[in-house]
Amino acid sequence: MAFFQTNFFSSTLCFNTDIHVFIPTPNSDELLNRKKSDYLQHGVKFQVLYLLHGAYGDATDWMRLTSIEKYAQEHKLAVVMPSASNSFYQNMYCGSDYLTYLTDELPAVVQALFPVSRKRENTFVAGLSMGGYGAVKLAMERPRQYAACASLSGAIDLEAVMEQTKHGNLAAPFRWDALFERPDNVPGSDADLFALIRKRLAQGEMLPRVFQSCGTEDFIYAANVSARDKLKALGVDITYEEHPGIHDWDYWDTHIQRALNWMRLANEPVTEPEEV
Amino acid sequence: MAHIDCSFYSPTLQKNAHVVVFVPSLSADDYLEDRETEYHKPGKRWPTLFLLHGSYGDCMDWSLRTGVERYAQEKGVAVVMPSAENSNYVKMAHGENYLDYIGKELPTFLRKIFPLSERRSETYIAGLSMGGYGAFRIALEFPETFGYAASLSGALDMVKLQATGNREAHMRKMPAAYRRAVFDPSVPLEGTRNDLLFLLGQHAEENTALPLLYMSCGTEDFILPANESFYETAKARRVSVLYERYPGVHNWDYWDTHIKDVLRWLPDGTKS
Repeated sequence: MAFFQTNFFSSTLCFNTDIHVFIPTPNSDELLNRKKSDYLQHGVKFQVLYLLHGAYGDATDWMRLTSIEKYAQEHKLAVVMPSASNSFYQNMYCGSDYLTYLTDELPAVVQALFPVSRKRENTFVAGLSMGGYGAVKLAMERPRQYAACASLSGAIDLEAVMEQTKHGNLAAPFRWDALFERPDNVPGSDADLFALIRKRLAQGEMLPRVFQSCGTEDFIYAANVSARDKLKALGVDITYEEHPGIHDWDYWDTHIQRALNWMRLANEPVTEPEEV
Repeated sequence: MAHIDCSFYSPTLQKNAHVVVFVPSLSADDYLEDRETEYHKPGKRWPTLFLLHGSYGDCMDWSLRTGVERYAQEKGVAVVMPSAENSNYVKMAHGENYLDYIGKELPTFLRKIFPLSERRSETYIAGLSMGGYGAFRIALEFPETFGYAASLSGALDMVKLQATGNREAHMRKMPAAYRRAVFDPSVPLEGTRNDLLFLLGQHAEENTALPLLYMSCGTEDFILPANESFYETAKARRVSVLYERYPGVHNWDYWDTHIKDVLRWLPDGTKS
C-alpha cells in the first residue's frame, strides 16, 4: 500500500480539508512471501471504498485504530478516508455542506488525483457509528454512485438516536438545531434513511446493497435491530450480522474485514479505459 | 494545490520512502475569483517538476521553507519532492541507489498514481546545492526522461568541492562514515560518472540529445567556484546552458527567490 495524506481546498466546505488515501502498491510482504505483485500496471484503476469516521473523529481514525491498510491490500482495494466533523453527514443548517462535499466534490477530486474506478460497480462506502449512518445515507442519496454500503454499529435509525440523546441517555456532540433547520421534522425527511429509501424506491432507483453489523452489548444494539427490521420490511437487499461486542475499535477492526469479504470485491485492479 | 504526503515501499531503495507531491487543484483564489479551471478534467496530465532538497534536508524542505506551492500553482505544474538523505542522488558506493530511485522508479511509479505528464518535454528536474548536482546528474543519466534541468547553488563540480570543500562546514561536518558510503574514497571521482564535468564530455562525444540546462548561483555563495568551472566546461563542450548570477549566499532567501526564475525559464504548460 502507498499511503497518501492529502490536503486540498474544498470549494463546497470553503476551507482546506484532509483526506487519507491508500492505493494498493507492491510492498515488502508481497516480496518476502512471494505474493503476486505485478498488478500496478500502466493505466491501472482500483475499486474504491470511502470509509467514514464516527462522532468525535476525523480522517485519521480508521488508519490509526484499525489495520484497514492490511485488509485493503489483500483485496487490492483503494481506501479514501475523509473528515466530516460532527456533521452527521448532513448539509448542516448552520454549518458546512458535508453531504454535498462527500457525494459530489470528493469523488471528483479523488478520481482526478488517484487511479480509482469511476464506475458504480466498483465504488463502496462504509463507516462506523455516525459514519455507519453516513455510509447508508451517501449510498441512498446517490444510489447510482455506490454498489454497496456497510454500516458498523451504525446510527441508522436517526430518529431513535435523537430521541436517546434528547433524554440524556446517550452522550453525543451533536447540536441538532445546527444540523437541521427543524429537528422535529427529521422523521419523514431525507435525513430519515427509511423515508429516503421509500422515496428512492418510489423513484424506481436500484438501491445499493446494505451490510449491517452491530455488537450485541453495544448501546446502539436495540436501535440496530429495529433498523434491520425496517430495512427488511422496505425490501432492501440487506445482510445483517450481530456478534458479541460493544461500541469500540475491537469490534470495528474485526468486522470491517467481514464487510470487505461481503462486498465480493474483485481483489485485483479493474480495467477501465482512460477517459480523454 | 493538493498537498499530498506519500509513504510507500520502494523496490529500488528496498525500504519505505517518503515523497511530498503537489498536484494543481482548485485554490481558494480560483474559487473567489470564479476562475474557469480544468483541474478535474478526465485525461488531464500535468507537467511535472521533480524538486530536490540539499544535504541535511529532506522532502519537506521546499514546501516548508519556500512558496513553491504557490509558484507552481500559478505555473500549472505538479511538483514531486522526494527524500534522498545525504546521498548526493547517486548510486551510493555502500548504500541505496537514489539515482535510479528518482530517475527511473519515481517517474514510472508516480505517473501510475497521479495525473502526471509522461512527456519528456513536460518532465523537469531541479534542486538546490546537493540537489542541484542531483538534478543535473539525474537529467544527464536519464536524458530520455527529463527535458529540462535546473540547478540552484549546485554542487556541480564535485571534484573541486571534494578537493577544497573541507574548508566549508557543509562538507566538513558531514560524518566521515556517511561520506564513505556515498563515494568510495579509494576511487578518485575525477573521470567517473559521479563527475558531472566528465559526464558532459561523454555526452558531447556521443552527441546525446541533452535536456536544456539552467543554473543559478549567488555571487557571495561559497559554492560559486563549483558553478563557474561547470559552466566553463559546458561552454567548452558546446552544451547549451543558461547561467545566471545574483547577489546572494547559500540560503533559503536565494532559493525561494530564484526558484521563481526556474519556473519562468520552464516552458508554459501545454494543454494536454
